[in-house]
Amino acid sequence: MGFWDKVSNIDRRWIYLMVAVATFFPMIVVMQFPVELTPEAVQLYEAIDNLPDSSVVMLTFDYYPSAMAETRPMSIAALRHMFSKDMKVVTVSNIPLGGPTIAEDVTRSIAKEYGKEYGVDYVNLGYRANYVAVMHGLATSIESIFKADFTGTPLKDLPLMQDVKNYNDIEFIFVVADNATIDYWISIVNAQYNIPVGGGVTAVVAPKMYAFVEAKQLTGLLGGMKGAAEYERLVKISGSATRGMASQSLVHFLIIFFVIIGNVAYFVTRKHEKGQK
Amino acid sequence: MRNTLPVIIAFLAGIAMVISFFFNPERTVLGTFQENLLQWVTIVGGFTLVLGVFSIVRVNARAVSRRSDGWFYKLATVISVFAMAIPSIMPTSANSAFGKVFYSIFPISWAGAFGTGPDSIYDWLFNYVDSPMMETMFATLAFYIASAAYRAFRARSAEETLLLITACLVMLWRVPIGEALLRSIDVRIPDYINMFVMNGFNLSVQRGIIIGAALGMASMSLRILLGIERTYMGKG
Repeated sequence: MGFWDKVSNIDRRWIYLMVAVATFFPMIVVMQFPVELTPEAVQLYEAIDNLPDSSVVMLTFDYYPSAMAETRPMSIAALRHMFSKDMKVVTVSNIPLGGPTIAEDVTRSIAKEYGKEYGVDYVNLGYRANYVAVMHGLATSIESIFKADFTGTPLKDLPLMQDVKNYNDIEFIFVVADNATIDYWISIVNAQYNIPVGGGVTAVVAPKMYAFVEAKQLTGLLGGMKGAAEYERLVKISGSATRGMASQSLVHFLIIFFVIIGNVAYFVTRKHEKGQK
Repeated sequence: MRNTLPVIIAFLAGIAMVISFFFNPERTVLGTFQENLLQWVTIVGGFTLVLGVFSIVRVNARAVSRRSDGWFYKLATVISVFAMAIPSIMPTSANSAFGKVFYSIFPISWAGAFGTGPDSIYDWLFNYVDSPMMETMFATLAFYIASAAYRAFRARSAEETLLLITACLVMLWRVPIGEALLRSIDVRIPDYINMFVMNGFNLSVQRGIIIGAALGMASMSLRILLGIERTYMGKG
């Protein structure tokens, strides 16, 4: 068996080992790279930044724990931006598993940094089943869908919710999602109720969103961990996404290297086989 | 009647939702009806979750009782369902009727452990068991993708070659080192990728898919409203 045959049939565990090394190496030897901004990320940042201070914004936590590496930094950076402008934040989740709990943990910890008070500066509505009905229902009355917040406190006992009755009282919706719920935020809430919607999504979902950005149905877009790192740069607070860029960079390079080596090995061995025939 | 009544309900509910979109929900009867209907939908949605829990417990409990293959994992599933659900639905105060009864039996100091709030049992299980497990499962994808990239991504034809080159360029563009590398070749390359690949080819294809799916969804909705499509009743 020649060299390229061996390369073609390499044990996959070597590949796994190389991916693991590429992932962990930047965590041990700290590496940081400058994150360039895309127009879509800047558009989203400016949309939030241009809102008047103390505006009410909705931040969604429509993602499962599995996608937290990409989406959680987006939520954190968005909250830092919103709280730094003294905005009132209403969080909601259309994901039963994890979304409301992530919202609770993330929002409370960031709110503490900015000295924000629950019920006055921010509220976590939690989750209700059937997101299409929820999105429609919030247009007429938030209280008709959410009688109480995530922890069971009636909305009538929360000062912030006395001024926030439906979408008309919300200036902007920042959707952070790892699934198709963002499609419905766009097609229902933006298209039918004319509320500006911005999006932070996983890298897998991002390509589809470019169509909505171009159609001005989505005001700005953060795609994957790179998008989160861009927003961290915009709010000038480096976080886990910026740190994660080093690992992601090395793994991307490694995968490109694998593709090239895999193809070279394939063509060399194929040529060799044809020559033997 | 068993077939006709659901079709009539589906037709009336669907038509009401379509028509009420054009009316002010705060001033018209139809708008109020729409609001009520949406509340019903969320309530029904809540029941489907209960049904889901009932179903997963029944299927797995049966497998455990019969000691079928992998029964131990099914037992873990059932235990996990109850471990997450029971503490989260326990009362967090003695204000409700259930709370009064519950905390007449158990000490009120236990209240912080229940519900779904910070530092509750549910919160702890989510943060330290559920979430790491889901993240780990998802993270293993990177290893499989790397292996697949090595073995399956082949430039056998012109189309495949084009796809591979585009994928490699986008992968480079999406990370800082790659973007810096592309900029070192020509400062405009990253902008070109964003403009022509993501906002060009990708956008046009995605738009075609979105419009196609929307038309399909509209025709399916129409079929349901008119009673042509009855698979939701378990009929072909």
